[in-house]
Amino acid sequence: MNKTADHEQLIARYLNGNLSEEDNARLFQWIHKSPENKKQFLGLKDTWDASLKTASRETEQLLKFYKRQASQKQPRTFPSWVYGLSAAAILLLGLLIGGIFHSGLTSGTKQQVESFYVPQGSRSELTLADGTKVKLNADSRLEVSPDYSTKKRLVRLTGEAYFEVQSDVKNPFTVQTDKFDVLVTGTKFNVSSHAEDRQISTTLSEGCVQLRTNNKEVILLKPGEKISFDQRTMKPELKKVRIETELAWVNGEFIFKEILFSDLIKRLERWYDVRLSYQSKDLETMVYSGSFKNKETIWQVLDALKLTSPIDYKKKNFREFELIYKPM
Amino acid sequence: MSDFDTLFKNYHHSLFVYALKFVADEEVALDLVQDVFTLIWEKKKLKLDDEHLKAYLFRSIRNACLNYLKHQQVVSQYQQFQGIKEMELLYYRDGEQSLIEKENLDRIYQAIHSLSDIHREVIELSRFEGLKNKEIAEALNVPLRTVETRLFRALSALREKLSEKLFHIFLNFCCLKNKVKKLSN
Repeated sequence: MNKTADHEQLIARYLNGNLSEEDNARLFQWIHKSPENKKQFLGLKDTWDASLKTASRETEQLLKFYKRQASQKQPRTFPSWVYGLSAAAILLLGLLIGGIFHSGLTSGTKQQVESFYVPQGSRSELTLADGTKVKLNADSRLEVSPDYSTKKRLVRLTGEAYFEVQSDVKNPFTVQTDKFDVLVTGTKFNVSSHAEDRQISTTLSEGCVQLRTNNKEVILLKPGEKISFDQRTMKPELKKVRIETELAWVNGEFIFKEILFSDLIKRLERWYDVRLSYQSKDLETMVYSGSFKNKETIWQVLDALKLTSPIDYKKKNFREFELIYKPM
Repeated sequence: MSDFDTLFKNYHHSLFVYALKFVADEEVALDLVQDVFTLIWEKKKLKLDDEHLKAYLFRSIRNACLNYLKHQQVVSQYQQFQGIKEMELLYYRDGEQSLIEKENLDRIYQAIHSLSDIHREVIELSRFEGLKNKEIAEALNVPLRTVETRLFRALSALREKLSEKLFHIFLNFCCLKNKVKKLSN
């Protein structure tokens, strides 16, 4: 083989083929033989690299960038978080030392209600002073009363949250929402009460909960049961459900079963932090089931909707889409 | 659109392609580019003028790739592949500029378009369609060695075209400067 022509093959093979170890060593040798060779090789590789035509992903990546900023910056943009967590730590410490400090501390912070807010497009987790774990879904707010303690366990929720409550039969844990209160002892459950959703609900995963509506109705839930209300009529509906499906969001998945189109749109808006608008009344009557892992982009989700239902979409603005009814 | 969004849209793709020079995995390359923009975001570098900002972006992505490769080296089986990549990174660190940084990517595609048919074909199949040399040989029904030689020559021709064009731009720029001088005199 002609040695001078050889480097052409080696370089082409290095860039776009299978280079054996022997070839690799020969190429390496050739490159280091002279500065001209090195320059030629690097120049050609650069030309090769620069001519790559690949999908440009800047829109999707810009969204991802802002999402990442939002989730990383939470302690800074929501200083109540830091304050709340330190207050919880102080309360715990107070409990360890004894009752004297405890009463002093609670009177000191009496006026302030701790408020934890998770913006659209992210989710968050916190532990309360008694060890109760709360996962807050996107666009949800949890308010913890200033004298929250192992004896008085009361929180207020707008939005959606999953609770893992520390067991204590004598001191029930209460979640207040606009339309109902949930009373529990030791249990895992989910509460969804976004004001703008038509359906609000509570789902029980473990233990036992008691639900009291504003109309003084009392409903007991068993594990695997979900109680939903139509917000306008407050008519209750009790159903057996699959817990994995209902609580998928806790693990970063997005599964929905037979939900109204309008509620699906609101969930997508919260989940992806986008605006979705639509005009057609025909869309309202549709009911959806499906699942997404949270790896999908909003574009992929919209494409999936487009494929499976009479819907088309167009981008209106940054993070704004319009959905159009298109009978098949 | 905010300045930051514009900056992101202007440079994201070039930085991504630049990172792919050194890091083969697309997801890793995207992550590295994200880190670079985080740096800009947090350090409020937006006030820099365009040229400096661009240089800063490319320097940052290069450093990010270098760091990544250093960590990878431990687990890499192909030390010499890494060796070539590192040699390349040092080359650019010492001031050499990549075409990706110097040129608008659209102009590179234009230059590819103006190549001879045989050369254009082999670049389009490998760089646009993602075919390996062997697959190109099968598709065109020519020996593998021929494809390799064509690819080498096509890249050489493209490189020449691009440096020629850059030279022209440089010349035009000089002429312009002279004219301005004459006018001001």
